[in-house]
Amino acid sequence: MSENESEFRKMVAGLRIDAEPNSVHRDQLRRQMLQAFERAGVGRQTTEDRGQKAVRRDRPPSTVSHLPLGRLAIAAAVLIAGTLGAWSLLGRGPTSFQQVRLATQRMPWLYAVVSRCQGPDVRTERHWYDFAAQKAFAVMDDSSVVGWEYGVGARKLVYNPRVQTLQIGELSGAGVNVTENLVSTFAAFASRDKVTRSTAQREGQTVLAFEYEKSEPGLRISNRVVNRLKIALMAEPRTRRVVAARVEYEDGGGSVLAREDWVMSYPSSGPATVYDLNVPAWAGTTDTRQRPIGTPSDAPTAIGTPAPTSGLRLAPLEIRLPKPTFTGTSRDFRLPNLERPRGAARPPFLAPIGTMNVALGKPVSSSDPEPVIGSLDAITDGDKEALEGSFVELSPGPQSITLDLQEQCEVYAVVVWHYHRWQRAYVDVLVQVAQDPAFKTGVRTIFNNDADNSLGLGAGTDLSYVETYEGKLIDGKGAQGRYVRLFTDGNTHDDLNHYIEVEVYGRPSDK
Amino acid sequence: MVAIMAKPVEQRAYDDLVVLAKTQAGALGRLYELYYDRIFRFCVHRLFNKTTAEDVTSSVFLTVARTMREFKGNTEQDFRSWIYTIAANQANAHIRKTMRRKRLLSNALGHRQADAEAIDDPAAWSSLDWPTLYAAIQELKPEHQTILTLRFFENMDYDEIGRVVDARPATIRVTLHRTLRRLQEVLRGEE
Repeated sequence: MSENESEFRKMVAGLRIDAEPNSVHRDQLRRQMLQAFERAGVGRQTTEDRGQKAVRRDRPPSTVSHLPLGRLAIAAAVLIAGTLGAWSLLGRGPTSFQQVRLATQRMPWLYAVVSRCQGPDVRTERHWYDFAAQKAFAVMDDSSVVGWEYGVGARKLVYNPRVQTLQIGELSGAGVNVTENLVSTFAAFASRDKVTRSTAQREGQTVLAFEYEKSEPGLRISNRVVNRLKIALMAEPRTRRVVAARVEYEDGGGSVLAREDWVMSYPSSGPATVYDLNVPAWAGTTDTRQRPIGTPSDAPTAIGTPAPTSGLRLAPLEIRLPKPTFTGTSRDFRLPNLERPRGAARPPFLAPIGTMNVALGKPVSSSDPEPVIGSLDAITDGDKEALEGSFVELSPGPQSITLDLQEQCEVYAVVVWHYHRWQRAYVDVLVQVAQDPAFKTGVRTIFNNDADNSLGLGAGTDLSYVETYEGKLIDGKGAQGRYVRLFTDGNTHDDLNHYIEVEVYGRPSDK
Repeated sequence: MVAIMAKPVEQRAYDDLVVLAKTQAGALGRLYELYYDRIFRFCVHRLFNKTTAEDVTSSVFLTVARTMREFKGNTEQDFRSWIYTIAANQANAHIRKTMRRKRLLSNALGHRQADAEAIDDPAAWSSLDWPTLYAAIQELKPEHQTILTLRFFENMDYDEIGRVVDARPATIRVTLHRTLRRLQEVLRGEE
C-alpha cells in the first residue's frame, strides 16, 4: 500500500459518518425481498409449466471414469438418476415420487454440488445435467472436466488439465451396459423393496424425504466391498424438485466407507459444451473411438459416406435459445427497410464442424463506459433471458460495444439479442469484425442497416428487423478478426440501447 | 489440523448457502442478514444521504430477489462480487438520474468552501471532514468513485474490487493511485 493510500485510509478511519442502519427499514425490506423472491418463483414456475414440452426419459451417464475419485460420484449420479428413471420405467411407486421425478426432469438444467467424504478426504465436484439434450457435465476436484453426451452420436469427453488434452471416447460398450444394469437393478429393487417416505427438516424447512437401502450393490471402494448402500433424496414440497441427496456406502461391519452430500439447484442455463467449463479452445484433442470401417465383426456396420478430403465439413449450429417472453401487441414501426416476419423458426445455419461461441465470457468494452443499467459482462455471460439483471442499457444516441475474442478467429456467425421482451426494432445496427482494437485495419462490415449513413460508417443495405427470442443471426462469412464491434442508435421505442447477449460463432484462425 | 479444516468448512457452508438461496427463501433470508449492513453502508458512502441509501439498498435487494434464481455463481465470493456490482450500478444510476445529486453537491460544497482554506497540506488528509471529502469525491469519474469507496470504505482488496468492476487488479491499483492524486488536486482547488 502506498504512503498516500495509507494516509488516506487513516483519514477515512477518523471520519465520523453516520451509516447506522435503520432496523425498521431492515425488517421491512426483508419481508419485501422474500415476497419478491416467492413471486418471482411462482411466475417462473408458471411460465415453465406453460412452456414445457413432453418430458423425456433421461438416461444416466456412464459410471466408468478414468478418474479414481470421480468414479464414485459418477456412480452415485447414475444411482440417483437411475432410481428416478427406474420408477419412470416401471410406472409404479409412490405417486408423490413420480411427481418429484417429473418436476425434476422438467427443468432445463439440474446443477449439483457434490461433496464426497472418504476418510479425512473431502472433495467437491460440480455437475450439470441437461435432460432435454441428454448431456451431462462434471468438473472434478482436480479441475478435470468430463462430459457425457448420450443422445445421438453418444460419446464421452474427458479433459485432463495436466496434459491439456481432451480425450473423446466411446460411451457405448461397458459404460452403457453398466448404466443399463443399474437401471434394471434399481427397477427391480424399487418394485421389490420398501421405499421409506417421510418428511425431514432441512435448512429450517420441511422437505419430503425418500429413503431406501440396498444390500450388496456390487460396488467397491478402495478395494473394500460395499455391503450396503443408503440413498436419501429430499424434495421441496412446493416445487416438488429434488433439492438434496445423501449417499452412504457401508462395509460389512456397518462402518461408512464413503459419503456423498448433494445440493441441487436449477439454473436457467448451463454449459453447452465442455469448452464452456474452462476447457481451452486450443486444447489438444485425442479421439480414441474405434471406427467400424473395414473391421470384421459379428455385426457388420454399414460404411458411411467418407468425409470430403478438401474443404470444410459443415454442421448446423447449435444455438440455445432463451424462453420467448414477448409481451404486448404488434406495432407498425413504419421503418423504411423493415424485413417481413419469417413466421416460422429460423432455419438451421451451417458452419464448419468445431465452430463454437468464441465470445462466451470474453471482455466487452463500450462507447458508454458506465451503463445506465447492468454491467457489460452480461453481454457475454451466456444468459439470454429477457429478465431483470440480464441486460445492459447504454445511454441514448449512437453507442457501440466491442467484444475482444482474445485471439484471432474466423467468424462464421454473430447472434445478437438486444432486448426481446417487447416488440421493437433497433436503429442503425452495424456489426464489424476487425483485427485491431482501433478498427482501423482489417475491418470487415458483416451487417449494416444504417440506410442513411447516420453513423458515418457508410450506408448499409441490410434490412431492419424486429427483436425476437431467436436473436438476430448475422452471417459472419468467415471474416477474420479478434474484435467484434456492434453499433445501435436507439430503438423504435426510445433512444436507449440495450444488449442481452452477443454470441460469436467461430474458430481460432490457427486451427 | 482442526484449525486448518475449520475455515474451509465454514466457507463451504457459506457457499452452500448461496446455492440454496437460489431455491429457498430461508437461505436467501440468511444471506440478506449477512449482507444488509454492508450494502447499506456502501450506499451511504456512495450517496451521502441515509434516506437515499435506504432507497437504493431496497432496490439492490429486490433485484437480488427477482434474479437470484438465475444467478450463475455458486460461492459466497461470487455472490459478494455480484451484489456489490448491482449496488455500484444502482448507486451510479441513481446519482445520474436524479437531480438530488446537485442538491447534495451544493450542500456539501458549502462545507467545502468553508473548509478549503484549512487544507494547507492536502497530503495530510487529517484535516478533512466527511462532507468536504464527499464533495471532492463526487467530482471524480463515477467508476473511480466506486473503486475508491470499495477500497477505503468497504476495505476490499484489489482482486475483489476487480471482480466487482470487471478490471484487473493491476489496473485497479494504478487507477486508485491516480484517483487519489486527482482527489488531492480537487481538494486543492485545481480543476
